Amino acid sequence: MDRTLTHFIAALRNAEVRISPAETLDAMNAVGLVGYRDRAFLKDSLALVLPKTADEKETFDTTFDQFFSFEDLAGQSVAVDGDGDGEDGEGGGEGQGQGEGLGGGKGSPGKGKKSKYAAAEEEEEEDLGPGAMAEPRSALARLLMQEGTTELTMRMAEAAEEADLTQIQVFTQKGLYTRKIMDAMGLADLVREIAELRASPQVPERRLGQELKRRRDWLRELVRDYVERQFLLHADATGRRLREDLLQKVKLSNIEHRNFRLIQEIVLRMAKKLAALHSRRRKVFKRGQLHVSRTLRHNMSYDGSIFDLHWKSVKVDRPKVFAICDVSGSVAAYARFMLMFLYSLEEVMPKVRSFAFSSDLAEVTELFERNKIEDAIAKTLRDYSGGSTDYGQAFQDFRKLCMDEVDNRTTIIILGDARNNYGDPRTDILKEMYDRSKRVIWLNPESRNTWNVGDAEMRKYTAYVHQAEECNSLVHLNRIVGNLLRAVA
Amino acid sequence: MADIEQLAESVDSLKDSFEAHRYICSDQIATAVYLAYHLRKPVLIEGPPGVGKTELAKTTAEMFALPLIRLQCYEGLDEAKAIYEWKYGKQLLYTQVLKETLDEVLQGAQGFAESVSRLHEFGDIFFSEEFLEPRPLLKALREEDGCVLLLDEVDKSDHEFESLLLEILSDFQVSIPEIGTVKAHREPPIVFLTSNNTREISDALKRRCLHLYIPFPDADLEQRIIHARVPDIPPELRRQLVTFIQDLRDLDLKKVPAISETIDWARTLLLLHTESLDPDLVRDTLNVILKFQEDIENVDAEIATLTNKAVRTDGVGPKVRA
Repeated sequence: MDRTLTHFIAALRNAEVRISPAETLDAMNAVGLVGYRDRAFLKDSLALVLPKTADEKETFDTTFDQFFSFEDLAGQSVAVDGDGDGEDGEGGGEGQGQGEGLGGGKGSPGKGKKSKYAAAEEEEEEDLGPGAMAEPRSALARLLMQEGTTELTMRMAEAAEEADLTQIQVFTQKGLYTRKIMDAMGLADLVREIAELRASPQVPERRLGQELKRRRDWLRELVRDYVERQFLLHADATGRRLREDLLQKVKLSNIEHRNFRLIQEIVLRMAKKLAALHSRRRKVFKRGQLHVSRTLRHNMSYDGSIFDLHWKSVKVDRPKVFAICDVSGSVAAYARFMLMFLYSLEEVMPKVRSFAFSSDLAEVTELFERNKIEDAIAKTLRDYSGGSTDYGQAFQDFRKLCMDEVDNRTTIIILGDARNNYGDPRTDILKEMYDRSKRVIWLNPESRNTWNVGDAEMRKYTAYVHQAEECNSLVHLNRIVGNLLRAVA
Repeated sequence: MADIEQLAESVDSLKDSFEAHRYICSDQIATAVYLAYHLRKPVLIEGPPGVGKTELAKTTAEMFALPLIRLQCYEGLDEAKAIYEWKYGKQLLYTQVLKETLDEVLQGAQGFAESVSRLHEFGDIFFSEEFLEPRPLLKALREEDGCVLLLDEVDKSDHEFESLLLEILSDFQVSIPEIGTVKAHREPPIVFLTSNNTREISDALKRRCLHLYIPFPDADLEQRIIHARVPDIPPELRRQLVTFIQDLRDLDLKKVPAISETIDWARTLLLLHTESLDPDLVRDTLNVILKFQEDIENVDAEIATLTNKAVRTDGVGPKVRA
């Protein structure tokens, strides 16, 4: 059973739950203690050992339900048995109830029935009526004719393992794997047996032939469902990873709306990584101030003669970051991700204040404090993105609003294409910002060679910034914010 | 020890005995304690404030009849306050004593080399257990029959401190450079760590712990909790106030009321001899469950709707919002 557990863990990893080998060992210990008998207990126990954040717990819940869902099969099969036999009334009723009770299996029994009837119509089966049936011979046939499905399910799981089902990568392979599993279960023998039985002159044998054929079709459905589920567990994430890699490099303005959610997840993850790297606050030593008590304490061991001195140290405050974003049409898409990134870094940069403008500038910090990031961004874009770009006006507004609060610990990030519609660029204000702040960084979503084409004022502005960077993909963003943190933290 | 083993025999027996100690817990919580005891692993408890994280540790200690050693974490907490410290005063005195006996020890020694070797022969107890002042973590390891160790609000401590914890959490031992390694006695402590999620706990720490997330309870569980904590409250009022609180949690609030607030409110209402909720009463006592003026103002408009809904006997009123 340890293999089941490792497969389950592989599936969890695929679903982005981080699990270390040490935790795998813990899980095995826990399973050793708890056992596989009580499903709810097992789930509770593994939920304590494997996922370590609230998000991961949610993922764990769904993965667990998908992965350990063999009961569905049992429910279905009884239902089919009941229908097929017709006379076996109580068994059938029970089976139906069970099939409905287990949420996951709802869709499938219907499907199974339909295909069964379809098959019956196609070949115009002779009506043999109920009665005795011959004994099935091949192993698979015997399994199929059995009452319970536990053994059949187990055989299927084994066959899936033989066929390396966990290696499934793309959805076109589903048919192939279904076939492989059926073969491994002994389909060839079964087909031969059915053919022989149906050609037989004796009624009980023909009857068995019919029944077996019906159950074979049903088995195919089962296997297909099983493959489908495994595909979702194992392969979905591989494709997703490819997509994520691509999305990181693609120009932010080209990202389609349907990928926003995914991007957001990537941004959060990148930001988290950065946050982990930089959340350590540096200590700065105040030179010349003796930490008397600590010095005394440490010099006790030297007979109280003080020669190992200790100085007072302070922890540096986290940096203040002002983000000024051009949210006019051309840059809006970038502003969205930049804001998302900055606010995802809350943990290391709690003092982000953000301003949005297209012509007039306003502070949107509060919007972000009160709303979820996505909502705040949407609101910002809605409220401020109208109007033609006017950097001069925006700078003027900024000076009026909070130039006083810019000090030598402040980093100002400006995101914009510097396309000023031939207005007054007001470089004097930018210079003032440059003089007062620790750093001014200009991020321009256009590529460097178009920076000075047309109405762009980048040449004038670059004189008054510490750093001007091209920034139009997540990879850029990640690098720049990383540098920023290194420089200011 | 037999008692503990008996109690921790199954999840159900744990649940029952928690209940006997007036702590109503879900299966998940009982399973966590069960695994913590049997796998000898610390439990990291996360969840919104006021859902009974600290209480779980306290109740566990009470239930197992073990001493509870608690370490409240805060920014700047270091090993001197958490693990051990030297008794400087006594060490200083010791050096004085040593100075006086030095002449005796070195008497007749020829040359510097011999003096030094004489000094080495002389037992050095300057850094020894005699002068060690154990702090909570070390104390917990030295506890003969085991104990419950509670590291409250680990997320408030620094990263360095988290690293300090790793050794004690994975191997139940502490290394003191001057002495060596101190291992736990026969029974290692049952360790609980709580976190309010003010910052992300490092992966290394999480890896060594079982992770228990305690969410707000559902209506049924909350009713049972109130019943256990405020047994005198009439059942009907209990149902009403729990319904009210559950609905309140769905609103956009700065600080959502937790179980502790529900309990406080239940006590308040009991004190006021209330029999049934009504809007005016709710308005007057709202400051017991909501801790921000802004929240109180926001909720004000909804009070009538929420109260009516809670008072309705079936508990599921029409979903009309003012």
